[in-house]
Amino acid sequence: MSEINNILITGIGVISPIGEGKDEYWGALRTGRSGFREITLFDTSDFNVKIGGEITDFDPLKYIHKRHLRVLDRSTRLLIAAARLSLEDAGLTITDENTYSIGVSAGATFGSLHSISQFDREGLIEGPKYVNPSFFPNTVINSPASQVSIMFKIKGFNTTISTGFCASLDALIYAADFIRLGRADVVLVGGVEELCEETFMGFYRLGLLSGSKGSPPGCKPYDKNRDGLILSEAASVLVLESEEHARKRDAQPYARILSYSNAFCPQKPGMFTSGDGLKKAIIQAIERASIDYEDIGFISSCANGGIELDKMEAETIAEIFGNKIPASSIKSMIGETYSASGAMALSAATGAIHLGFIPATVNTEEPEYPINIIKEGIENVEIHNVLVVSSDPYGNNSAVIIGNI
Amino acid sequence: MRRVVITGLGVVSSIGIGKEEFWQNLTAGKSGISPVSSFDTSEHFTHLGGEVKEFLFDKYYPGIKQNSFSRASMLGLTATRLALNDADITNSTLQEIEAGICMGTTLGSVQVVEIIDELLLKNKNHNIDNLICLVPTHSTPSDIGKINDLNGSFMMFSTACAAGNYAIGYGFDLIRLQRIDIAIVGGVDPFSKVAFTGFNQFKAVAPERCQPFDKNRKGMMVAEGAGVLILEELEHALQRGANIYAEIVGYGLSCDAKHMTSPSVEGIVQCMKKALKEAGISPLDVDYISAHGTGTPANDRAECAAIKEVFGERYMGIPVSSIKSMLGHTMGAASAIEAIACSLAIKHSIIPPTINFETPDPECDIDCVPNRARKHEINYALNNSYAFGGNNASLVLKRFIE
Repeated sequence: MSEINNILITGIGVISPIGEGKDEYWGALRTGRSGFREITLFDTSDFNVKIGGEITDFDPLKYIHKRHLRVLDRSTRLLIAAARLSLEDAGLTITDENTYSIGVSAGATFGSLHSISQFDREGLIEGPKYVNPSFFPNTVINSPASQVSIMFKIKGFNTTISTGFCASLDALIYAADFIRLGRADVVLVGGVEELCEETFMGFYRLGLLSGSKGSPPGCKPYDKNRDGLILSEAASVLVLESEEHARKRDAQPYARILSYSNAFCPQKPGMFTSGDGLKKAIIQAIERASIDYEDIGFISSCANGGIELDKMEAETIAEIFGNKIPASSIKSMIGETYSASGAMALSAATGAIHLGFIPATVNTEEPEYPINIIKEGIENVEIHNVLVVSSDPYGNNSAVIIGNI
Repeated sequence: MRRVVITGLGVVSSIGIGKEEFWQNLTAGKSGISPVSSFDTSEHFTHLGGEVKEFLFDKYYPGIKQNSFSRASMLGLTATRLALNDADITNSTLQEIEAGICMGTTLGSVQVVEIIDELLLKNKNHNIDNLICLVPTHSTPSDIGKINDLNGSFMMFSTACAAGNYAIGYGFDLIRLQRIDIAIVGGVDPFSKVAFTGFNQFKAVAPERCQPFDKNRKGMMVAEGAGVLILEELEHALQRGANIYAEIVGYGLSCDAKHMTSPSVEGIVQCMKKALKEAGISPLDVDYISAHGTGTPANDRAECAAIKEVFGERYMGIPVSSIKSMLGHTMGAASAIEAIACSLAIKHSIIPPTINFETPDPECDIDCVPNRARKHEINYALNNSYAFGGNNASLVLKRFIE
C-alpha cells in the first residue's frame, strides 16, 4: 500500500463565476474579484434576492461537440468542461492501455435538481405517457460524473459522492484512498453544482441567502453584519496521481496530498452541528500529516456568510489554533458552490502553494471572532501547507491538508 | 491488512422486513410484487411494483416523530436498527469505538422532491420549508448517524443501481485502512414516481412479472427497500463473540464509459475480473453469482455474455440467480439487499432461486437456479451490480473461516 504523501495534484480545471481555467481563476482570487451578478438563468421575480454567482460567459461548445450537447444538462456540461481543462493542464492522455487505471470521483449532491424536477413536472402537467425519455438519464445523481467518463473514455471506476458541503473534499479522500489501495494510478477528482431555480428557492425559503431580509446582498464570512450566503455555481476537477505514475510520464506536479480526515458529528437534533466533528477532522488530519500546527500556511475556510456555520467554524479554529494561523474564505468571491465548494477550495489552495499567495476574504469588514482572518490578499509568500476544511449542517466534516512539492 | 466480517443484517423489502421473514420468503420463491399504491398509475403503461406495504416505523423507533424524516430515511433507519439488533450492538458500543456510515442511493429523497413539485404546482406559495430540509441526498445517512451516535467516517454514494455495493466496498476499505472498526453500510431507495415514469417511458418495465434470463422476459419491476449490513473488524467481532455471517474479501469497480443506459459487456467483464483479482481468487473458486439480473432484455443478455467471458467453460456450472425476480429492483438498495441474500446463502448453504422462469433463452444459458431454492455449499459468492452511467460494482463474499 502506498503512503498518502505519494499522491500528487498534477492538473487543475475550473469553470467558475470568476474565471475559466486555472490561470483566470487564480488571477481573480489574487485580485479579489467577486463573481456576483443579477441572475439570468431563471426568473427571480418571486424572490427578494436577485443575485447569484452565475457563470455568464460559459460556452459549452468550446468543450463539447455539438452532437453530444443536446441532452446534457448544465451540471454535466460544467463538469465535462472542468474535466477537459484538467486533463489538458495535466497533459494526460487516456489510452486503451491506461484507461482501467484511471477513475473519476466527483461530488454532487442534488445531481441536477433542475433535471429531476423538470422531468417530474412534465409528468404531472402533460401526463406520464408524454414525458420525454431521453431526459430520464439526467435524473440520476451520477449523471454528470458518468458523462465525464463517457466523454473521455475513463474506465477504471466512476463514483459520485453526495455529502453536501463536504462532497468534493470527500471525493478527494475517496480518490486518494483508491490510489493508496492500488486501485488506480490517476483519479479525476471534482465537484459540480449548477445554479437553478429549484436549489435557489430551497436556500431562499430557508432564509439562508444574504439579502433575503431586505438588506443588499453581500457575502461577508465571519463579519458581525453577515446575513447569509450567496448561491453560486461552479465545477472544478483536479488530477490526482500517484507519484510513481507522475514521475514516469514527467508530469509537473503543483502540490502533494499530505493527509485527510472525515468525521461525523452526532449532535442532535436540528440542522446545525457543534464543532466537535470539525475539530476531530482537523486534529486527525494534522496528526496524520505529521506536521506541527504552525506548519500550516493558511486555513482555507468554508465560512460562507451564514450565521451558524461561520460561528461554529470560527470557534473551532480559535479553539485549535488561537489566532496564529491565517484563515481565508474564497466564498467571499465565488459564493457558495455547495458540492463543488471543496474542489474550488482545493484548486485555490493549489494555486496558493504554486504561486505563493493567500487569497483575501473580501467584503469582511468587522470580523466577529478572534481568529486571524485575511482581509487583504497576501502576495510573495511561501506557503508550505494549506488546510482545507468543509463542514455540513447535516453533521459531516472534512479536512484535507495539501503541501508543496 | 485487517480482515472485515459481516456481523449484522437488516432488510426492509417487499418480501419481508427483517432477515427471518426475508430469508423465508426468498427461499420459498415468494413474489413481493403488487399494484402500486404510492401514486396513481392509471396513466402509466404498467401498474405493478415492489412496494413495502406494512411499514411499522414506530415499532423500531418508538416515540420518534415520523414527519421529520423522508421515506428514504425511514426505510434506512429501520434497516439499520434491524441490523444493529441482529449484530447485538448498542448505541453505547458505537460511542466507544470509531463507527462510520457508508450508504448508497439512486435518487435519495426524490419522493420529497415529488411531493414539493405537486404542492407547488397547485399553489406556488405553499409552505414547504420542512420538506426542503429533507431533500439533500445525505439527509438519510445523517439521520441514521444522529440517531445512532456515530462519530467516524461518513459517506453517501449516488452511483444509482450499484450504490449499495459501492457503499459496502468503501466501508470495507475504511476498516482495512484502520480508520473505523465498525461500519454501517448499505443502500436505500424509496418508491419513486420519477423512476417509475422513467423506466415506463423506456419501455423497460414488465407488465406482470419480472422474469430474469427467460426468453420472454419483458423487463424490470420498480421497487423500494433498504438493506443495511454491519461490517466489523475481525478481532473486534471475535472478542465480543459476534455471530459472523461471512467475510468480505474484495471488490471491483469499473465504468463502461460508453452509454448512460445500455450496458457494456466489456465493462462488466472488467468489473468481475477486478473483484476476483482483489479477492485473490480465480474464476474456479466462485460457487455462486448473485446476478444484477434486472429482467430487461439488454441487461440479462450483457451480463450472461460477460459471465461466459470471465468464467469460460465453467460458466454453466455456476449457479447464477436474480432475487429481483421476487422483490423487484430496489435501485440503490438492490446490491445491498443482494449482499444480505449472499450472506444468508453462505450461512445456510442455500441458493435463492430466480422465479418466474419458464422458457430458456439461448443467449442466457447460465444455470439461473430456476424457480426453486437449491442446497449448495458456497465458499465464495460474487455479488454483481450495474447502474446508469455504466457504474459497475462487484463484491466478493467468503464463507468465514478463522
